[in-house]
Amino acid sequence: MALIQTHEVKPGMVLAADVLSKDGRVLFTAGAVLEPWHVQVLKTLGVAGVEIAEIEAVVTPDQAADYTRAAFLYVNPDHPAMQTLFEIAAERVLRRATRGWVLPDVATRQARNVEHLSDVFGPGQASPEEIVQHETELASFPDLYFRLKEMLDSPKSSAKRIADLISGDVGLSAKLLRLVNSPIYAPVSPVDSVARAVTLIGTNELATLALGITAINYFQDIPPELIDMPTFWRHSLTCAVLAMILARRQGLPPERFFTAGLLHDVGRLLLFKKLPYASTEAMIHARENFLPLFEAERILLEFDHTDVSKVLLAEWKFPEAMAQAINFHHDPMCAADPQSGATLHLADIMANAVGIADGGMYAVPDLDPAAWDELNMQPTELHSLIVEFDAQFEKTLAAFL
Amino acid sequence: MTLFSSSMTLRAATPISDAEFKELRDFIYQRSGIWVDEKRKYLFENRFHKRLATLGLKSFDEYVKLLKFDPRSAEEMKTLWEIITTNETSFFRDIKQLESFQKVILGEVLAEQRKKGKLELNIWSAGCSSGEEPYTLAMLISESLGLELPKWKVLISAVDLSPAMIAKAKEATYGDYAFKTTTEEQKKKFFVPEGANFKVKPELARMVSFQQMNLNDDAAVRRVPKSQIVFCRNVIIYFDDAMRTKVARAFYDNLLSGGYLLLGHSETLHKISTAFRPKFIPGAMAYRKD
Ligand SMILES: C[S@@+](CC[C@H](N)C(=O)[O-])C[C@H]1O[C@@H](n2cnc3c(N)ncnc32)[C@H](O)[C@@H]1O
Repeated sequence: MALIQTHEVKPGMVLAADVLSKDGRVLFTAGAVLEPWHVQVLKTLGVAGVEIAEIEAVVTPDQAADYTRAAFLYVNPDHPAMQTLFEIAAERVLRRATRGWVLPDVATRQARNVEHLSDVFGPGQASPEEIVQHETELASFPDLYFRLKEMLDSPKSSAKRIADLISGDVGLSAKLLRLVNSPIYAPVSPVDSVARAVTLIGTNELATLALGITAINYFQDIPPELIDMPTFWRHSLTCAVLAMILARRQGLPPERFFTAGLLHDVGRLLLFKKLPYASTEAMIHARENFLPLFEAERILLEFDHTDVSKVLLAEWKFPEAMAQAINFHHDPMCAADPQSGATLHLADIMANAVGIADGGMYAVPDLDPAAWDELNMQPTELHSLIVEFDAQFEKTLAAFL
Repeated sequence: MTLFSSSMTLRAATPISDAEFKELRDFIYQRSGIWVDEKRKYLFENRFHKRLATLGLKSFDEYVKLLKFDPRSAEEMKTLWEIITTNETSFFRDIKQLESFQKVILGEVLAEQRKKGKLELNIWSAGCSSGEEPYTLAMLISESLGLELPKWKVLISAVDLSPAMIAKAKEATYGDYAFKTTTEEQKKKFFVPEGANFKVKPELARMVSFQQMNLNDDAAVRRVPKSQIVFCRNVIIYFDDAMRTKVARAFYDNLLSGGYLLLGHSETLHKISTAFRPKFIPGAMAYRKD
């Protein structure tokens, strides 16, 4: 640790202690990697100097790049968008490593003991239809979901009726309010009632979010040893926030894409419930062979999680536009509306790329070049998208927990 | 603002052309039966990049020529198998399958041998990787036979394509990773500590005989001693249907009548072979040669 004068502070340095303002508020916390704007703020506020950590370069930029590249072995390295996503991912890996993150080695990345788990079906015995049927016969889906769905379908449902319905569920309304107050909406003043949330973001929009939360909550009770649930939720929510940001840029309804992003891997949740051992084998196979998970599922199960969600979402009568985006996120140009498919496809790929620095262990799926063209974006836009994402994500995640 | 002082590129390897990829893929398939999907082209570029550099080759075309026509070919094949195989395995992997195997299949086979007055047991572990699977089988057998063990002649023929894996298997010494599906109890019972590692007890290791072998090599496969039990787990997923059919046939020919074939958790003989009679055992499927 060393006290460094502000005029000598450089971006990339790591804070060893909190930086306080004159009135004692914490400006920046220890561990932060300084960026140019931090330095600017320090100068503007006239902070004399800060404690800088003397961090040994445990991970070199080359190592960070190699580590990241290993997750990009399934993608076309010559596609400019993938090149940009690689830069973004490697940057995040290196940044986290400078804060002391030790890059997981091959062994820790693969270790997992699920020997006590049994599948409901034997090898080759289960089709997506049978898997879904086994679930729907066992448990009924929450009534609230179907009432929300009814209102979404009916052009006559009033704002008041929807607000009343949602307010009737304490857990759901609390979560929705936290979401509406999070940076993805960033209201000027706090929203403290469902009725106000409806006026702020719209009746159908709020109902769409409520529908997604109700659907995903259905799986809330998956035993934690089945799958690392925090990682799963983090990936789902990353995809949701990215899909929402992308949708706004595309002029598509943001709430639909948030909800679709949240549920894009819902088929995997059901696979975990019914075939815990086989899905774990698929994960191991994916890691060992540097394959994206859905490819490993196809090899081991002869179908993938989108084949399961196709049946499941149809059973739930999930709104078709969202179901299409979810079911075709690995095959976007086959969706009824390719632009929607492409949006969720890119959001998922970006979520996988961003996830590498969070310890994600699966190969990033390849970008369908036609889907990329469909979106009419420049690779450089991906950088600004990620800046926007970073400004919103952690607080949105907190709202969700 | 970036922490990288220079820009880095995603592409780090010599590109492989479509024609070169097809040639290499077909070569690998003809030799080993391992089928590499087109989508794994970039993985190939990456995997072989260092090898090409070490050999001082400028293109994949030169590499394929070396494999096909060069006097160094036989030597290079060993490295090739190392590069293209994946060897994930661990002791007591898929314990549910192993427990039912021990109770139902092994129990039946041992009883049958006793009835015949032939205290002999032959097992073939095909695609044994670094040896965890055949050693696990030796452990299950010693558990089932107990004090009877010295009276029996047990032979587990364990083969794998990768020479590196066979060499590792022969050492019989393992680190943490091999034990991720093993309990402390099993570890204490069947291993002796050796530094930070653990070594398979010699009386168990003695049952297993390792050999580098290509399951696509008909003559070599025919030389494997006839067995009562064949284990081939998590190997045929790397093959195409034609090769799967071929090895299923080889296992059938190798098995004595009344013998059993066991596959990996997600593998079936569905669409591959109808010669066997499938038999459900809790947590798994066994295939019987009647
Ligand atoms: C994933 S490991 C399975 C190890 C072990 N049976 C288990 O289930 O834990 C697959 C093994 O099959 C071997 N293999 C692949 N093709 C082969 C072939 N043609 N002949 C012999 N072994 C082969 C590979 O070298 C690799 O070690």
